[in-house]
Amino acid sequence: MADEFERRLERLFGEAPFFADAEVFAQGIEQRLDRGWNIRSVLIGTAGLMGGVVGVSQLLMSNFFQRMGEASEGSARALEVGVAKITPQVELMSMVSGDWGVVSLAGVTALFAMVFVLSRFIDEI
Amino acid sequence: MSGAQNQTYSALHDVELAAHAAAGDRRAFGELVRRHSSGVRGLLRRMGASPAAADDVAQDAFLAAFESVTDYRGEGTFAGWVKRIAARLYLRRLQKEKRLADLAQEVEDEFIPPADPDAAGRIDLDEAMKGLGEAERLCVSMCYGAGLSHGEAADALNLPLGTVKSHVKRGLEKLRARLAPGSGAEAEGRRVNG
Repeated sequence: MADEFERRLERLFGEAPFFADAEVFAQGIEQRLDRGWNIRSVLIGTAGLMGGVVGVSQLLMSNFFQRMGEASEGSARALEVGVAKITPQVELMSMVSGDWGVVSLAGVTALFAMVFVLSRFIDEI
Repeated sequence: MSGAQNQTYSALHDVELAAHAAAGDRRAFGELVRRHSSGVRGLLRRMGASPAAADDVAQDAFLAAFESVTDYRGEGTFAGWVKRIAARLYLRRLQKEKRLADLAQEVEDEFIPPADPDAAGRIDLDEAMKGLGEAERLCVSMCYGAGLSHGEAADALNLPLGTVKSHVKRGLEKLRARLAPGSGAEAEGRRVNG
């Protein structure tokens, strides 16, 4: 069991000494935290961008868009026939059918993703 | 940081600030650093670290604390939690410098002066700690400054429990002799470190 002197010793240890540079010390740690956070954001952003570039290049190399175009043309035609049976006057599906429909949709999505990453990055800085 | 935000943080309890920090709020953690850095730096100096080494270790301790702040759940004080991190980091540093190996072999037959009740003999804790051997200083400051039990200190120092207990006992006897009653708080408050 702690005696009076031990309690006093704990109290003395608990009292923080005065440091004239305490504020500078705290700011130094805050700066190191900020720097670490910014570096992390840059690394994540760069990794995301590189992943995106690699992904897009892989898609291009595997003729993905052409195949998607062909596939979507087929399915769009089938859908159009289906829709035409219900509403013969509407030709909505022709708006997104074909190569350019798919490519522009993918482009807009990619653009949204990049803007999101960029805005997060600017926010962190 | 804006003044208003500063005021908001200064009104919060340590546990609330730690919760903000756990959510990634670095300004909230900055407030915790402001509150407790002096205590951590003071403890490390009392453990025997040079001012530069104490600041290095304290900085590393706060950065480590930020990384694992989700582990702090408000059981015990935040200051005590960071002090334990800092004390362990300092011991690791001593281990790297191979200074811990000598602790078990420190001389034990040193003369301990009797307690001095005379006011003229009063000195503060920092001065009194300088009169302790390295092992005594480490053991006393880990148990009474960082709040570790004798067993935890023995584990951290990689020393037998009995050795730690005897270092603490001898250290306490020396401090008791050097710290006259009533001298501590006043002398402590006057002390300025830079």
